[in-house]
Amino acid sequence: MDNTSIWIMIIGVSLVSLLPRIIPVAVLSRYEFPAVVKEWLSFVAPAVLGALTALSVLAPQGKIDISFQNIYIWAFIPTLAAAVKTKSLFSTLLVGILTMAVLYNFIGF
Amino acid sequence: MVHRRNLFAGVRGQAVTHQLKEKFMDKKELKQGMKDALPIVLGYLPLGFAFGVLAKDVGMTVSQATMMSVLCFTGAGQYIAIGVMQAGGAIITIIMANLLVNIRYLLFATSTVPYLKDRVPPLTASLLSYGLTDETYAVAMNHYQDYPATSSYLAGLNLTSHLGWISSSLLGAILGSFITNTDKFGLGFALPAMYTCLLVMMINRKSDIYLAVSTAVICLAIGYLAPAMMGNLSNIILATIIGATLGVMINGQH
Repeated sequence: MDNTSIWIMIIGVSLVSLLPRIIPVAVLSRYEFPAVVKEWLSFVAPAVLGALTALSVLAPQGKIDISFQNIYIWAFIPTLAAAVKTKSLFSTLLVGILTMAVLYNFIGF
Repeated sequence: MVHRRNLFAGVRGQAVTHQLKEKFMDKKELKQGMKDALPIVLGYLPLGFAFGVLAKDVGMTVSQATMMSVLCFTGAGQYIAIGVMQAGGAIITIIMANLLVNIRYLLFATSTVPYLKDRVPPLTASLLSYGLTDETYAVAMNHYQDYPATSSYLAGLNLTSHLGWISSSLLGAILGSFITNTDKFGLGFALPAMYTCLLVMMINRKSDIYLAVSTAVICLAIGYLAPAMMGNLSNIILATIIGATLGVMINGQH
């Protein structure tokens, strides 16, 4: 791909990634949602996080990997415990990153 | 009755003062947003860095790699772009794949509207939604459970996260040849750890836990049965739609 094509590609990707984020907020801010829609929307965040957590732990390389060799599953256990106990993003992140570093460097996964 | 009306007037009065204050930057809110963005920045560091390295490898200049992270704030989409470029694919393939990967933000952005409405001016809210990602979305929605949305908080959170993404891409594009393996620092688990904690914090209702688990199972099942949907992350959209509908149904039974 030559220089000009790369710039065109960047601008194209920019547009298709920007518009889905901006349009709903720009357009829908004027309307009042019915109660049932609001309730439905209130479930979107926990649902999305359930999906993201599962994918990031059980399919870390983009393919589902539910096995003892999946280092992410092992790191998930103390991380979940830290999250439930501390409910602090920073402590959880610290536990997760340290566990991962230890598993990677010393256990030899 | 009188008491209630006074109370109402009080609440409204507060809202007006708040809106006036919001015309200027609310430093406390801005700082809180920036602080809440720090774990996100930590998670983006290895991802942005890797993007910079790969972009350089595939023939982008340092300024192109960096500008791509300025103009596009879509980790998955940017990796796809690199992959297609490497395979010698067409620009239109990259753009179509990115449309698919980013379409879920229609849903995410819509679910922020009830919180932003009447609190953040529509133009500001629209512009700041540029910085909407899986991570800023999760952190903001978690914040809105306890505090009202403000422009300053949203600016602090989204702009700091975006700046983290841009600077790590730049670093990767410049230093790529010196540091090759970021896995050994354990940073690869930063985002999964963040999702885990946000999920735990997001569970307020009993129905939340059922719906989070069932959405996770549905998402994996779709990914297993239709690997193509896994590739463009549309399994997240479908699973979320089913999950949120289940949530409404479970909640309606009580």
